Amino acid sequence: MTDRTKVSTSQLLSTFAMVLVALLLGAVLIIFSGNSPAEAYGAMLRGAFGSKNKISELFVKLIPIMLMAFGVSIAFRAQLWNIGATGQFVMGAIATTIVALHVAGPIPVRMVLSFLAAVVAGALWAGIAGWLRNKFNANEVITTLMLSHIARYFLMYVVTGPSGFLHDPHSDLTQSDAIPEGMHLARLLGPSYRLHSGLFVLVLAIVFMFFFWKTTTGHRIDLIGQGEKVSIYAGVDVRRTVMTTMLISGAFAGLAGWLEIVAIQYRLQSTFTDYGNIATIIALLGALSPAGILASACFFSVLLCGGSSMQRMTNVPYSVVDVMQGLIIILVIAKATLANRIKGFWEKRPKKEAANG
Amino acid sequence: MADSTILAFFISLLAGTVRLATPILLPALGQIYTQRAGILNLGTEGTMLMGAVCGFTVASVTGSLWLGMAAGIMAGVAYSLIMAWLSVTMRANQVVAGIGMNILSTGLAVYIYRLVFGIRTLPPSVVPFPTVEIPVLSKIPVLGTILFSHNIIVYLTYVLVLPFSWFVLEKTTFGLKIKAVGENPRAADSKGINVGLVRYLSVLIGGAYAGAGGAFMTIAYMNTFTEKIIGGFGFIAVSVVIFARFKPINAMFGALLFGMAQALQLRLQAQGVGIPSQFLLMMPYIMTIIALVIASKKAEFPSAYTIPYSRMER
Repeated sequence: MTDRTKVSTSQLLSTFAMVLVALLLGAVLIIFSGNSPAEAYGAMLRGAFGSKNKISELFVKLIPIMLMAFGVSIAFRAQLWNIGATGQFVMGAIATTIVALHVAGPIPVRMVLSFLAAVVAGALWAGIAGWLRNKFNANEVITTLMLSHIARYFLMYVVTGPSGFLHDPHSDLTQSDAIPEGMHLARLLGPSYRLHSGLFVLVLAIVFMFFFWKTTTGHRIDLIGQGEKVSIYAGVDVRRTVMTTMLISGAFAGLAGWLEIVAIQYRLQSTFTDYGNIATIIALLGALSPAGILASACFFSVLLCGGSSMQRMTNVPYSVVDVMQGLIIILVIAKATLANRIKGFWEKRPKKEAANG
Repeated sequence: MADSTILAFFISLLAGTVRLATPILLPALGQIYTQRAGILNLGTEGTMLMGAVCGFTVASVTGSLWLGMAAGIMAGVAYSLIMAWLSVTMRANQVVAGIGMNILSTGLAVYIYRLVFGIRTLPPSVVPFPTVEIPVLSKIPVLGTILFSHNIIVYLTYVLVLPFSWFVLEKTTFGLKIKAVGENPRAADSKGINVGLVRYLSVLIGGAYAGAGGAFMTIAYMNTFTEKIIGGFGFIAVSVVIFARFKPINAMFGALLFGMAQALQLRLQAQGVGIPSQFLLMMPYIMTIIALVIASKKAEFPSAYTIPYSRMER
């Protein structure tokens, strides 16, 4: 078993190569859309790093995508393909809002309660898929995705008037009332920058992830990822571990949902940015290792923030960024085998030369 | 409600069921080929989206719905070639490959749409396949409306594609080869069957069906393209296949069940019953989970399901 907390140089190089290929193919798409790639990528970089505010936005984006990528990576290492992080995020956000608006009590208590509610809601939403898999052998790819669709409609229901119990009665919009101001997470660079103290939550999560794979639970999760036989030989209770894995995985997405309400939106809205796919790509590009995910989340934060200002400043459609994400994930999937073949090729060659000589 | 209104409601519900089952039945039939060969293509959703966008684009640019349908099918084949390459040649994890295919398709579909149509205040639309009333038969009370007043693609799916798929899968040597490759690729290989080729073909055929299902959504059911148009139908189709135990005729009943959920949901919304519309919208997704729960425990999956084949490994 390879130690996945360490990243080898060749792995790093091939990852860079893939990102480069995706950027080059992206350039081709930009040319097709009648624009100059240099201009577009320039706009992208300026859009990501151009001002203090833009750098603050990079971190604002980084927090949820990295948290959710950590979450899905935990499930992925157990070969549990939780692709419903979106639904778990939504349930976390809903739970936060319920506590913020409907639970009486002092602000600090509500803050803690809302945090717990969000984490539990996210965990349970993923836990349903884990339970269905244990009990009925239902494919978790399909169930987590279906649960995401269900969560989306549930969100629409709770914020749509007049029947939705979180709907803001003073507004025609599909949104909840604003949460009390005391519950807003502090902004780190003053009120004009959105960077918030959720950054510390992210730092804690990073530390947690680095230690997590050394713990017994982490090892068990890795073991069930190697197949049922291996885990049974190792004496791991597969069903129980499947459940734990899904719960922890969903908890991360729920946490991201909590931050979305208390640090960014300050109210629940029917529309939200869907980070589910991004989380999957980041986790896979980062080879499911904490360090890899850290690096690829930073890259994607630049790509996303830069991409949206590229769309505003040039004529390049944002979908180019989406296509690049898709290309990156296809390349990542193909990479494993390609790497093996190239290695095989180099190992065979010297032998042939020796035979000739 | 008066008796006649109730009757009208049920006639319209059942007619809608037949119509809405079509875009589930088409990809489901295709996935029977693919899954019987041992490959789980969770990228069906994305393949349908590519069929939807290409079918719509070509129909809209050329003005020919049939060319649009052909383009949808070809897009499905072309796009699923990536899945075939990843799962057969690269022997990648099929679940991850499928997830990747879906992510790539959302970007690609929107990019193609934007490239062709630009940004418009009014979304472009086509005149979809018209309803063809079958002479005499469509005049039969009740049944006429339910079965004999649909567009041509609906008829073709039930009358041509379904029996054809059944015949190929159950009665031809090719169907047998697909099964052999999915059950025991090593034995199939030793009998001289080209495992890789059969698996490639099974994925591509699945892609053709999914592409047709996608194009159905944009040019035969709706008349525009949106990025959410497939709305989980691809995943529903994959679960219908498992639910149907990989049999074409069962797949039809599975598809009709989901078609009914969808049709019922739309009609209850229109009627304004007491249930909030969002709960009605959830119905097909809840049903998918329930179907999966019922089917998965007992389903006999092909023995080599999701396992890549290599001659080198034992």
